[in-house]
Amino acid sequence: MAHTLQILILGLALGGVFALMGAGLSLVFGVMRIVNLAHPVMIIGGAYVAYWGFRLWGVDPLVTLPIAAVILAAVGVILYKVVFEKEAKAATYSEMTVLLTFAVAMIIEGALGTAFSNTQRVTSPDYATDAIFIGDIFIPTGQLYAGIVSLVIISGLALFLKYSRFGYAIRATTQNRDAASLLGVNVNLVSMVSFAIGVGLAGAAGALVSFVFSFFPAKHWEWIAILMSLVVLGGMGSILGTVVAAFLLSVIAAFVGAYVGATWSTMTFFLALFLILIVRPQGLFGDKPELA
Amino acid sequence: MASMDQSAVLEARRLYNARLALKADKTRAVWFPIAVLAVLLALPLLQLTSSNYNYVLHLVLYTASYVVMASGWNILGGFAGYISLGHNVFFAIGGYFAGMIYARYGVSTIILAPLAGLVAAVVGYVIGRITLKVRGPSFIISSLALVMIFRILFDNWDFVGGAAGVSLPAIDLPVKWAKVPYYYAFVVMAAVTVYATYRIKHSKFGLGLRAISKDEIKAESAGIDTRFYKTLAFAMSAFFVGMAGAVWGEYLTYIRPNIFLIILVSVNMVLMCILGGKGTIAGPVIGAILIVAFNEACVIFFGGSEINILATGLVMALALMFFPLGIIGSLARSGRLPRILNWD
Repeated sequence: MAHTLQILILGLALGGVFALMGAGLSLVFGVMRIVNLAHPVMIIGGAYVAYWGFRLWGVDPLVTLPIAAVILAAVGVILYKVVFEKEAKAATYSEMTVLLTFAVAMIIEGALGTAFSNTQRVTSPDYATDAIFIGDIFIPTGQLYAGIVSLVIISGLALFLKYSRFGYAIRATTQNRDAASLLGVNVNLVSMVSFAIGVGLAGAAGALVSFVFSFFPAKHWEWIAILMSLVVLGGMGSILGTVVAAFLLSVIAAFVGAYVGATWSTMTFFLALFLILIVRPQGLFGDKPELA
Repeated sequence: MASMDQSAVLEARRLYNARLALKADKTRAVWFPIAVLAVLLALPLLQLTSSNYNYVLHLVLYTASYVVMASGWNILGGFAGYISLGHNVFFAIGGYFAGMIYARYGVSTIILAPLAGLVAAVVGYVIGRITLKVRGPSFIISSLALVMIFRILFDNWDFVGGAAGVSLPAIDLPVKWAKVPYYYAFVVMAAVTVYATYRIKHSKFGLGLRAISKDEIKAESAGIDTRFYKTLAFAMSAFFVGMAGAVWGEYLTYIRPNIFLIILVSVNMVLMCILGGKGTIAGPVIGAILIVAFNEACVIFFGGSEINILATGLVMALALMFFPLGIIGSLARSGRLPRILNWD
């Protein structure tokens, strides 16, 4: 019993981090219909900001988090202006953007690899290796903090989308781009800001990832499929769906890892992605097959 | 009486088609690809001279292997419009199938290549049955998931050596001639593949695939069995990629997941087709030549493989943004395609 509870807690702790990693991806798809394959490599970019902040000046990754988010958001604005603004008008848009973001992912990976080499890195603030014991169950503090921070950020995002005026505009654009534009929403500005928020969330997630996982530039290939599985299972564009999917799949993966073998735990995400795309492409919370 | 009318109509149509074909032939230079092939087949004679041309042979062989793969990818990605980023899976299946038989029983992979291609095609057919239900971005993502799944499988499959792979015996020939059998294997495979894609494009099947890429629902309502057509296209493209993989393993003398199942291999296939021109016959060939030359230049001038990834991504982004039709496609649209490159 204690053993099962322990696995459940580890799964949930990991799910919190994955939820934030996937949230930005989901937002960007919802508003712009862009499957941003460069999202995971941007998370790694955020992780490097936190890593160097900690390594050079001893700044806690949780403090660097907003800085990483702002830096990445700026990258997002530039990318949007240079690459996606023009593409948004093309006919074969969604397929083209997948390949384009793929190319962007390679560019960033190559740049990060050239600058920082492909050695494994991890930031190690004191709490990263610590754990809280409740009876015979332990909770790794690093993952606990990361999970809490990520839920706080996601709640903030949800409140922003739900109650702010700009949030209305974002949600309206998600539901129907043309109708929103007719009602006076500056769709282009909304797209740019949502893209920047999405990429900024990647930066924030990166700061958390930097002390939860070890990372190197080429690692993002593995995360692409993991994050896509969350976003697709949750229903593309539904942030709540992504969060639920993140917890669900992480817990399943934790049990698979414990009972079947550690190598097969990541396989859970890949198989899930594969099966969901085939069986229910609209995901759990999507109402129509957006991606199909 | 009625049947006579009908045959007269058919006769007129046949004449008209023949005239069209003749006109198309005039814009084409059939001698050019044949001449290129003749030169390439004669190229190993250079080894009879005193100096060593192994590097030249390697470059041609490497390009030819990518011509096979990119042209194979083109059947699904170019003709049918289903972009797969997971075709290195079939490269791995071909490589492992032929490589394991070669390691155990010593049968040359060059002989095994068509069989390895068939195995890849069967796997491709089964996978295509499942994944071709979805299209657009979903299909691309499912193909990425496929690579991840196969990577874990091959990394943990002890029979094929897991992540460490299996080393294969090297060919028993003097250094100067060691590359020649593989050279001929790849050049012949490339020629066969290019000719096969030409025949496919000009068949009823190819017409069906092009209809699917334009508008699948209309194609279906026009009576095309779209499900069967695209699955068959998937299997055919897997066949050629698998064939290239089979010989590639023996050429490198080892098979290992991080040779076959790295994302750069499938990116190269996609990039070559996009750069040269998706859905054209000469496109993948031109793309393969350009990308291989570009990669070599990167290695010579910058060394590191990280720069190579960056540069590949940059070329891909620029090609997608400014030449979505590719070199051949853009030239053909503006009517400036030279006759020697009009292989369609």
